[in-house]
Order: sequence, then structure tokens, then C-alpha cells
Amino acid sequence: MKIRAKFTKQEYIKYISHLDLMRVFQRAFRRANIPVKYSEGFNPHPQFSLATALALGVSSDGEYMDVELDTYIEPEEFKQRLNIVLPNGIKILKAVFSDDKDSIVSLIRWATYIIGFSTKEKVTPEEITSEIDSFLSREELILTKEKKKGKKVTVKQHNVRERIKELFLLSNENDTIILKTTLMTGSQGNLKPEEVVELLKEYTEIKIEEDSLKLHRLELFVEKDGAASLPI
Amino acid sequence: MLDKGQFEKILNRVEKPARYIGKEQNISLKDITEDTVRFAFAFPDVYEVGMSHLGMHILYNLLNSKDDIYCERVFAPWTDMEEEMRKNNILLYALESKDFIKDFDFMGFTLQYEMSYTNIINMIDLAGISIMSKDRKNDDPFIIAGGPCAYNPEPLVGIVDFFVIGEGEEVTLEIIEIYKKWRKSGGERKEYLEAIASIEGVYVPELYNVDYNEDGTIKAFYPMDAKHPTKIKKRIIKNLDEAFFPDKIIVPFIETVHDRVMLEIFRGCTRGCRFCQAGIIYRPVRERSMDTLLESARKLIEATGHEEISLSSLSTSDYSQILELVNKLIEEYKDKKVGLSLPSLRLDSFPLEVIEEIQKVRKTGLTFAPEAGTQRLRDVINKGITEKDLFKSTEEAFGSGWSTVKLYFMIGLPTETFDDVMGIKDLAYRVKDIFFKMPREQRKGNLKVTVSTSCFVPKPFTPFQWYPQDSIEMFNKKINLLKSSIKDNKVTYNHHDSRLSYLEAVLARGDRRLSDVLIKAWKKGCKFDSWGDKFSFEKWLEAFEETGIDPDFYASRERSYDEILPWDFIDVGVSKKYLINENEKAKKGELTKDCRKGCTGCGINKSFTGGVC
Ligand code: SF4
Repeated sequence: MKIRAKFTKQEYIKYISHLDLMRVFQRAFRRANIPVKYSEGFNPHPQFSLATALALGVSSDGEYMDVELDTYIEPEEFKQRLNIVLPNGIKILKAVFSDDKDSIVSLIRWATYIIGFSTKEKVTPEEITSEIDSFLSREELILTKEKKKGKKVTVKQHNVRERIKELFLLSNENDTIILKTTLMTGSQGNLKPEEVVELLKEYTEIKIEEDSLKLHRLELFVEKDGAASLPI
Repeated sequence: MLDKGQFEKILNRVEKPARYIGKEQNISLKDITEDTVRFAFAFPDVYEVGMSHLGMHILYNLLNSKDDIYCERVFAPWTDMEEEMRKNNILLYALESKDFIKDFDFMGFTLQYEMSYTNIINMIDLAGISIMSKDRKNDDPFIIAGGPCAYNPEPLVGIVDFFVIGEGEEVTLEIIEIYKKWRKSGGERKEYLEAIASIEGVYVPELYNVDYNEDGTIKAFYPMDAKHPTKIKKRIIKNLDEAFFPDKIIVPFIETVHDRVMLEIFRGCTRGCRFCQAGIIYRPVRERSMDTLLESARKLIEATGHEEISLSSLSTSDYSQILELVNKLIEEYKDKKVGLSLPSLRLDSFPLEVIEEIQKVRKTGLTFAPEAGTQRLRDVINKGITEKDLFKSTEEAFGSGWSTVKLYFMIGLPTETFDDVMGIKDLAYRVKDIFFKMPREQRKGNLKVTVSTSCFVPKPFTPFQWYPQDSIEMFNKKINLLKSSIKDNKVTYNHHDSRLSYLEAVLARGDRRLSDVLIKAWKKGCKFDSWGDKFSFEKWLEAFEETGIDPDFYASRERSYDEILPWDFIDVGVSKKYLINENEKAKKGELTKDCRKGCTGCGINKSFTGGVC
């Protein structure tokens, strides 16, 4: 029996790492008396998985997890019991039974984000839009990644243009610019919003005020028959 | 209060921001009224260390169980956070309300280890409070301190306003009661300090004077006004079973050192190891009943969802009903996948079947603390364990599938010779041989023996308090001897920094002249001294140099029995005569039996009631 649930990660909870979030849930399951299935072996682990990791400081309205149950419990009850014991900022929005053989981790293909910031110099919406248009019209957007393996540092460069599905100006008010973007996410190709910010800094004239940057995940998508759809 | 926007910007730039956000499950959130007494429980180390401290959880919940007291937490920000705070003029704040500590009534430090003292100064400064008591104004918080190191409070005199000696549960409430009256009266700071000086267990250093002899030793220590007590008697909770124990504790978001439910099964210890300060200052032994413990466990697991319960005490297996307790806990939590851990377990007195039962949920390595390499030296320190015990336990453990063993030792113990040091190596090799003597098919896993040595620090209120510590050179000689003789890929050798242990000995047995050194060292940038990469011995040496204080006077000098020691004015209940007698017995290698098997006359039962004796 598997429950698939959607939840939020907001407020200060956004400063908690993926691993720590796993532990928050593990303990919340016990407090809420959720009959989670445990692995066998020396160090039994509860059988559940979170869809994708968020970087520290990124909030979200659309996180997902799969939980294997040992005994039957209504998804609605699962949701209610957990919401009582979860810390502020994490809230289960929806829970359903899922008969997916694949784990949520392997299904995720796209994610939408809000990128908010102010700029060092004033810019008009038109200027932003034209910057973004020329940014997207490039055939190559090269992301440089450093990988450390022990003491050796290898630099890898990838053209990630294809991993940006959309990027546009949502609003430009009170000196705060808000962009919306849809990015490839998951095992078949991944781009993070903070990496998009890196690219914007490199390829455009937009002078992002580093300190003001706010990232927020809106939703995750799976792909079914070639079309993006919500996980539940 | 913190500016939220600015705060978030900083959080984005620091390592492990979750250390600084508060918001954990089971924190106390309160409305603040005019009558609220605000208490900041301050732990002078990072969040992960502080949150692992059971005493904090007890006091936090106890204080917050009172309507008109609001206790919050504050830890030492890591250096990256401190840098941001100083750059952006952010004062030290409390995790719950994000209000500044400066606006609190009390900032209460717990003194768990000497090498956290520079962090205390740093935190007071970061809070925007004067680091010297004499410079503090009426609306500044009172800086107070308690915990095991407060049994020799003198090095912090001048910085801390007053100390609480002993167990804090009752006395803290008494202090706050008097505070409420004082606050209403609008009196002077000094009036409050005078008023609490008569509470048992409270030490207000500015009411006391010290005269010195020409050789630097103490000539006299006395209250300036005869109305104040000449001896400060430690506080203890008479009946632990009726004492407050929280039914919920804060659940940290990030991994801490002890991230689990800690059940305090008893206080005190009757074994009488002669190097152990805790074994003396926490006497007499007082147990919690099994029913109370099971009930606590139930509530705490329900409130936290923790995956582990640990039984906390100085010597877990000495609890009078340990087997029943362990069996009941295993029974109750097996299905919930809650594991059980028993730190400070003496394997010589614990059946292996039970340990195996415990390990069915979560398997960990085995730990032994023989403390010394030879039987002669183990007799000197009254450790009790024999080689036979150790070998028998390891043999059994290997037979049932264990393969990792940790062995803890001390070097520099009184009367130690190089033969004793080599005994450490021999012991480790014997353990290894036991493993490989087993038929191949019975061996499970890959053998790993870890040998750790720490450097002996003579502590106040132990039979060894008069003893000179080994010099750094001598420690290093012994460490190098072990390093060069332990050459086996199955045996790993770890050791502590001898320079740190040296400073620890200085501060542990220091007097009030040392506070100048502390401040100097802090001004030079010393903090997080026990965190290897932050430690600068050179700066400390400069601080001694510049204040004209000789550290050897405190660490490396043998004291005579009739010298007035800086902590002699504290009454821990165990008589000095007993300590002297124990030291003399040590020299002869004579053992003192566990006093559960018959009183050995330490004297605690004369001045303190309660407990098992
Ligand atoms: S009075 Fe006797 S029984 Fe009690 S702690 Fe001291 S030595 Fe042990």
C-alpha cells in the first residue's frame, strides 16, 4: 500500500536540508502513529521517499513524497494526523493511494519556480523582457560545474538550454522583479533555479542584487504520454 | 527584535542555517507581560552540542512550566554567523522570540567544560552586554552560571555575576522569586546580589575577598561581611522521583550529538574512580523508580517521535533494576522501531544476551573504558575492572558477531610509568588476538579496534586534586611512544591534544586571577577552543605572558594537603579527609570498594539527606 502526498516547505523550514527533512517526517510519522513500513536488517528504515531535493533557502508549495504503509489507513486520516504534529511551514496539502510501481523520484520531469529579486540599477519591464528573449534565443547556455573528487577538481561544462522550458517576467513592482520558469528536473536532466540565476548573471545585463534573491518552487510535474501533468 | 528581512539575508550566507532559526517541535512560545521574568538559557557552544545536553531540556521545561517565567535558548553562533552578526550589527538573540538577550532578566550559562569559557565572554559581548560584572547597569541581565565546572567558579569571577552550585531545579526558582520582588522594589543591582547570597547553593563572588601568600598560594578566603556564608553548600534534589522531569523535549531539525530521548535513570555514582570529578560532586546516588522512567519514556516518545531512547547516568549498569528496565523498554518499543542505547555501560556487569537483545533494533559497536593499560595503574585509580573481565566480555561479544571495539584510556595518571603506557598497546593487541583465535567460520565482519587516549586532567574535588599534571612534553612523549608502537592495520590509535588538556588543568584548578587571562585570550580571538582548527595555543601563551600569570603554577605544581585550594569554600558533602585518604590509598594501589556494597565513609550522608546511603 502506497500513499502519495503533496506538501509545502515554507517559512524558516526552507533552511532545513533534504536529509533533515527526511528525519522530520520520520519522527512526525511516529508522533502521528502512521503505520509506515520498515525495511529489514540491522538498521531498519521507514520506507518513504521524497520526490526531489531543494537547496537550502528555497521554499516550496509543491513537494511530493511516497510512503509505504504496513497497515491500511485512509489518506485523509494520514493527512490530518500528520498536519497536527508537523512543524509550522510543512503542511500536507493532499494525499491519495497510489498504485504506481515507479517511485515518485523516478517520475518527476519538470518543476516550476518563482525567482524574485531586486536589481542594482533600475530596469523597465520592457528591458527585462527583451533581455530574457535574447537569453532564450541563444542556442547555447553553458553551465560550468566544478566537481570535487577528493582533492581533484574537475570542471564540466554543459549546454543546458534545452532544460529551460519557459522563462518569463511575471511582475515588476516596487523594484522587485519576479520571474517564472519551468525547468527540467529529475534523473533525465536537471537544472536548478539557482543555476538559472547564475546563467542570467552571465548572459544578460540584468544586475541581480544577490542579497535580495528569493527562490520558490511552485509545482512538480510528471510526464504522461508526452504531456506534463501533476503527480496526483 | 531581529529584523526579519536582514536576518534571512544572513541565513542564506551561513553554514547550517537551521542552527539559528528556532521553530522546532515542542518549543515554548509565550506572550510577554510586565510580570514575565525572561531567562535565556545560554550554552557556550554550537547548537548541535548544546541541544544534546539533558540539563538544558530539564531546566527549559521546568522554567516554562511556570506562567510568569519565559525561558528561551541561545547557543554560540559559529564563526561565520558571528562574522555576519558583527558586520550587520545584529545582537545575540534568543531562538524562540528572536528578542535580544540584552533585554532579558537573566542570561544563564551552563559550564560543561573549561574550554568553553572564552565562548562565554564572546557571547556576553555579542549580546551587547559589558563583559565585566562591575560595568553592568541596572537594566542589564544578570549573568549567572551553573553546571559541573561551577564547582570551581573562581576563573570566571568578575565576569559572571553569581553562580549556582549543584543541581539547579529548585534553586533557580528561588532566585527568580527574589528577583521578582527586587524588580518591583526598583532597587540597585547590588541589593539583589546581597539578597540571594543567603540562598543555599548561591555564590556571589563580589562579596568575597582573597588574600595571597608571597608564593602565590591562597592565604585566606572570606566573606567581606560576616553575614554571608563562609562555605557555599551545593544544592541537591532530595527525591529524584518527585523531581521535575519534562514530558516533552525539543526535537532538533538538524542532527545533534545526542539526538534522542534521554532518560536520566539516576544521579551520582558509587564506584569511586579516583580521577572522576562527577563521581564525587554528584553524590549521593539517587534513583528514579522504574515506573517513573517507563512513564517518562512513553510520554517523550509520543511527544518527539524519536527513534532512540538512551539511558543516561554515570554508570548505567549500576541502576538497581537495570535488567528489568531494559527488558521492559525493549518489549515496549520493539515494534515501534525505537532503539535503545546504553552509554557508559560497564560490560563486566551486564549480560551479553541483553545487549544482543538491544542490538536487534540498532547495532552499534562495543565500547570499553579500562582507562589504564596495566592492572597496577587501574588499581591506583580504583577502576575495578580486571583484564579478565575485559577479555571475557570481548570474547563473548566477538562470538556473537561483533567486530568493532573502542577502547578508552587516559595517559598521565598519577604514578604512571612507560610500562603502563605500553600496557595500552598490549591490551589492544590482546583484544585483536582474541578475535583471530576464534575459528575462521565463527568470525563475523572485519575487526576494527580503536584505541583512544585522553590526557589526564587533575580535577577539583577528586583524590587527585593535589597532583601535578604531566608536562606537555611528557604527554607527547607518551603519545609518540604509542603512535610508534601501535602498528597494525586492525588497530587505530587516536589521541587528544595535550596542549588543550594542559589549559584545561589550568582553568579547572585556577583561581580568580585567571579571569584576566581569559579576557586577554578572548581579545586575541580565542573562541571555540575545543574545536581543533579554531584552537590557538600561541594566543593563550601570549595571554599568560602579558598578564604575568604562570600557567605551570596551576597545572604542573604539586599542592600540599594544608594548602587552601581556590574551591575549598565549596561544600560538596564529601569530606576533604576522605579525599586525602583516597589519595594515600592510591599511592599504595589499595582499592576502595563500591560503596553500594558498604559505606566507605565519604561523609556525604552527614550533611546531605536523601539518596541511597
Ligand atoms: S556516605 Fe558512604 S554510601 Fe554514601 S556515598 Fe559516601 S561512601 Fe557511599
